Amino acid sequence: MRVVIAEDNALLREGLVLLLTSAGHEVAAVAVAEPEILPALLRHRPDIAVLDVRMPPGFRDEGLRAALAARSQIPGLPVLVLSQYVEVAYAAELLGVGASGIGYLLKDRIGRVEEFLDALNRVAAGGTALDPEVVTELLARRRSTPLDSLTPREREVLKLMAEGHDNTTIAATLVITERAVSKHIGNVFLKLGLPPTDVGHRRVLAVLAHLNAQ
Amino acid sequence: MRETVRQAARATVQLALAVGLTVFSYVFVTVLLITAIGTIAILGAWLLPETVLLIRRIAGAKRSMTAAWTGREIPDAYQPINGSLRSRLRTAVRDPGTYVDLRWMAANYGYGALGLLALPLWLAGLPVDGVWCGLLRRRPLVLPLISGLADLDAAWSAALLRPSPKALLTKRVEQLTQTRAGAIAAHSAELRRIERDLHDGAQARLVSLSMRIGLAKRAYERDPAAGRRLLDEAQEHAEEALAELRQVVRGIHPPILTDRGLAGAVRALAAGSGLDVVVQADDVEAGPRAPVAVESAAYFVVAEALTNAAKHSGSRQAAVRLTRTRAGLRVVVRDEGKGGVTTPDGTEAAGTGLAGMRRRVAALDGTFSVASPAGGPTVIEAELPCAW
Repeated sequence: MRVVIAEDNALLREGLVLLLTSAGHEVAAVAVAEPEILPALLRHRPDIAVLDVRMPPGFRDEGLRAALAARSQIPGLPVLVLSQYVEVAYAAELLGVGASGIGYLLKDRIGRVEEFLDALNRVAAGGTALDPEVVTELLARRRSTPLDSLTPREREVLKLMAEGHDNTTIAATLVITERAVSKHIGNVFLKLGLPPTDVGHRRVLAVLAHLNAQ
Repeated sequence: MRETVRQAARATVQLALAVGLTVFSYVFVTVLLITAIGTIAILGAWLLPETVLLIRRIAGAKRSMTAAWTGREIPDAYQPINGSLRSRLRTAVRDPGTYVDLRWMAANYGYGALGLLALPLWLAGLPVDGVWCGLLRRRPLVLPLISGLADLDAAWSAALLRPSPKALLTKRVEQLTQTRAGAIAAHSAELRRIERDLHDGAQARLVSLSMRIGLAKRAYERDPAAGRRLLDEAQEHAEEALAELRQVVRGIHPPILTDRGLAGAVRALAAGSGLDVVVQADDVEAGPRAPVAVESAAYFVVAEALTNAAKHSGSRQAAVRLTRTRAGLRVVVRDEGKGGVTTPDGTEAAGTGLAGMRRRVAALDGTFSVASPAGGPTVIEAELPCAW
């Protein structure tokens, strides 16, 4: 895959380049400040953009804004946003442009190389990768809702689903069969009153829309 | 006519109070003289500060009486009388407020008895105005004079009791010195807390992480399985250290405040509170931003108040309002819950973080108030001074 990176911290930038190239990806360009991000994306048209949220010159949420701008200029461009901390509000903004090809992860997750690369591939393929912390926060803020009627196992399945994992991964993570996963998902959708959707980002959107609705 | 009588009656009450106070201070002058003589004779030295305190109370009573009549507050600017006898004596004698009070008291011996005129005015006014106004439908003549008397008394008292600008400034400096000391204390406590958090948390984990990597390097050749296990542990420690650092950073200054400003950050808080929160923050959305410390304190107050509302209030409804005032930023958080955060005698329920909020606001020279009658609603209000 051809990747464009936006990261101002030299240490993290080098680490990311090393990680991506050693995994067989090509780093087409590296942006170190906000004004460079969009031109780099427009010129290289990468398979995926990996953007840091806080970038020079303002050190606020430049990467996030760049991600949203890039999506409107290059529809469908897969974007993986990385941050030192996650905010549900930011996740909502990112997913506002559609959950297909959107990722939002803590930088901590890069350390789990296999999982990180998996998330990268998933987003590049049009899927979703949401940080577990965002999902936990979303689940925690809802009180006395249909969520309470879920069994612990169904909650686990819901969490993994919201993070963007497919049935195979959910089955492997929870050490259960894929058929059991399908059954749990069916129950979750039934209890939450969601229309059954196929595997993929539409499912994530439905779940997140439900969680985010107040 | 009825209105005239009512107004005159009100003025009479006011004048009666004034006369009462004057009579009291006639008596008081005797005490004062005794004290003065006693002080000269050293024996009564301890009496002087007490006497000054008593003068303050009398003048204070006159201030609030006058304020009640005119509707305009008369500020006072006393220096606190405390500490050793020597320092109490020194303050009592040096405080300009003492002389403001004495000047008023002396003048009041003269005009304080004015109120007695109300009696003949009533006696004359009732028949005269009764005929003049009641029968002939003219404007009342005599009874309004009673109000005039009360006005005169209030005007003189206000002029005499108002502290000099210098005394007001001195008082302000005193207040600022106190809040600054509070701010510095709060700041140091905060630094110590951060230092401890880092020392016990992230730093310790990084040490153990480094240790495990070292061990893994040694095991690398001999026992790859053990090496791998150590590396797994090292990674877990690194992740925990990161999570702890994130917590510490949030405690110092919530990153979203930097990114989105106060309005955005408060909206995110509201969305994450688990309550239905109406946020009114348009006022602070555009235009210049408040200083970092002010935004931080405002955010802290809203966060704590919403946490309280979610935990204790029993209600799902809350409202947050942020407004720019001329003097600074006003934060109001209201929930429709069962109230009772403060009891009627002013003590606060434990574990509500109210003390922390108060400290944080006071450190910035702000004001903080909680209204939470049993049955609700609870309204928390903070005003943080800043220049826009």
